[in-house]
Amino acid sequence: MLLGSLDQYLINGLVLGVIYAMVAVGFTLFFGVLNVIKFSHGDVLMAGAFAALIAYISLQNFVSISIWMMVVITTTFAFAAMALFGAIVARFLVLPLRGAPPLNTLLITLMLGLAVREAVRLFYPNGSNPKPFPKLLPDTDIFIFGLEIRHDSLIIIFGGLAAICFLHLLIKKTRLGLSIQAVAQDSETARLMGINFQKIVLGTFALGSGLAALAGVLNGLYYNEINFSMGLLLGVVGFSSAVVGGLGSILGAIIGGFLFALLQTIGAIWFEVPAYKDVFAFVVIIAVMAWRPTGLLAETKSDRV
Amino acid sequence: MPNLLEVDDLYVGYDEADVLSGVSLKVKPGKITCLLGANGAGKTTLIRALLALTPTRQGKIFFDGEEITHQATHNIVRLGISTIPEGRRVFPKLTVIENLLTGAILEKNKRKIGSRIEEVLKIFPQLSDRKKQLAGTMSGGEQAMLSIGRGLMSAPRLLVIDEPSLGLSPLFVKENFKVIRSIKERGITVLLVEQNVKQTLEIADYGYLIAQGKVVASGASAELNKTDQVQLAYFGSKQ
Repeated sequence: MLLGSLDQYLINGLVLGVIYAMVAVGFTLFFGVLNVIKFSHGDVLMAGAFAALIAYISLQNFVSISIWMMVVITTTFAFAAMALFGAIVARFLVLPLRGAPPLNTLLITLMLGLAVREAVRLFYPNGSNPKPFPKLLPDTDIFIFGLEIRHDSLIIIFGGLAAICFLHLLIKKTRLGLSIQAVAQDSETARLMGINFQKIVLGTFALGSGLAALAGVLNGLYYNEINFSMGLLLGVVGFSSAVVGGLGSILGAIIGGFLFALLQTIGAIWFEVPAYKDVFAFVVIIAVMAWRPTGLLAETKSDRV
Repeated sequence: MPNLLEVDDLYVGYDEADVLSGVSLKVKPGKITCLLGANGAGKTTLIRALLALTPTRQGKIFFDGEEITHQATHNIVRLGISTIPEGRRVFPKLTVIENLLTGAILEKNKRKIGSRIEEVLKIFPQLSDRKKQLAGTMSGGEQAMLSIGRGLMSAPRLLVIDEPSLGLSPLFVKENFKVIRSIKERGITVLLVEQNVKQTLEIADYGYLIAQGKVVASGASAELNKTDQVQLAYFGSKQ
């Protein structure tokens, strides 16, 4: 292995870690407030990336829009579209199933994910093939501590971290966040405090789904290519990260996401054959789960969000 | 004076069986009204129906003249009903201050919230040393204080207190009753659910005795204390 490319591995690992963490946080939020696993999460990420692409294509003919403006508009559109979609799914699919076994919610959202995936494949023009995602960020190099880093990687890493920090502050420091925590810890008592349970659940699903859309956009900006099935692996990786960190804990989800990216990076360096990196990462995750079945930050019954 | 809370011929049940069959009661403003009865008599079910946590089958509930029978819980709470639930139910992973803030979640005015926190800490000085402690790590007695404090944070018109002495040491039970009396002195109407007949009737103005889902005796506390049913319930619970 060439030593010179090690910093590339590091940057790549950080980008992936941020994206995984964003997906994992969504899984943990949904599980926290409603005790459900929403398996369409990865496909929401994909749909978010496509929403951004659609926004870009519709706007690219307006020359007056600067490139930064374009980033902001497409990202905001993707976030808003998926937040709305998340709230609708919560209202009409997840909440009605509240009395049913959690497994039903898992299966129904699994099917929903499939439907979203196939819908994009069938209805997006030439949807079976990968789509180029616009290069909106500068790919010039800068040197930090002797590391050669591309500007776009840096922006993606900090953009993702900023989103996660923003979510953390929202949950810890605002009235909405306090309501989310109260619902997650004891939904009945939260209602006795005057909290509108349904509103908080919809808000949480909107937030988590919007975050997935952001992850999808960052993923597109990094690889400059998206496709209808990109959510499949990202969903499984995000879910594994959330579980290995301890489902229900936000910090655990973040740690899990970066852990998974670290394992992939180690796998990639170690085996040289790129395909083995996922095998290696999943094998280690399975081993960790066998060692700590409730995740690294073990959740007690009340330890939610 | 009109009643603050009125329950009219209420039927509530789970599955096939009725837990409450035809319960009626009135809560007068500014007074402590207590609900007595043995385990399983239906006291907690009545409270849950009142707050729409358990659906009502038949009958009506009025708060301050407005019918609240089939409204959503958070809308009922909004009218000015605060609850100290059975078993305290503090939010275990929130700090003492955050728990208090959940009690005032409907209040937007930051100054009011601040002064209410101060007030609660004045009633329970023990809590001021533990502002940043997670509620789940506190003792049962401290959690009880926190739960009462949280209930006061919304400046309620009616405070529903469900079995406050459950699982507490006798010394703290006594302390609890003192606090409830002082809550009444602040002008807050109290609906108190208890099994502890003697101490409850000492502080309550009116009482209802429930057995097997029906009101079997009611009246002013002093008179209620003398009735056969209460004597029976009292000695029954003593065993």
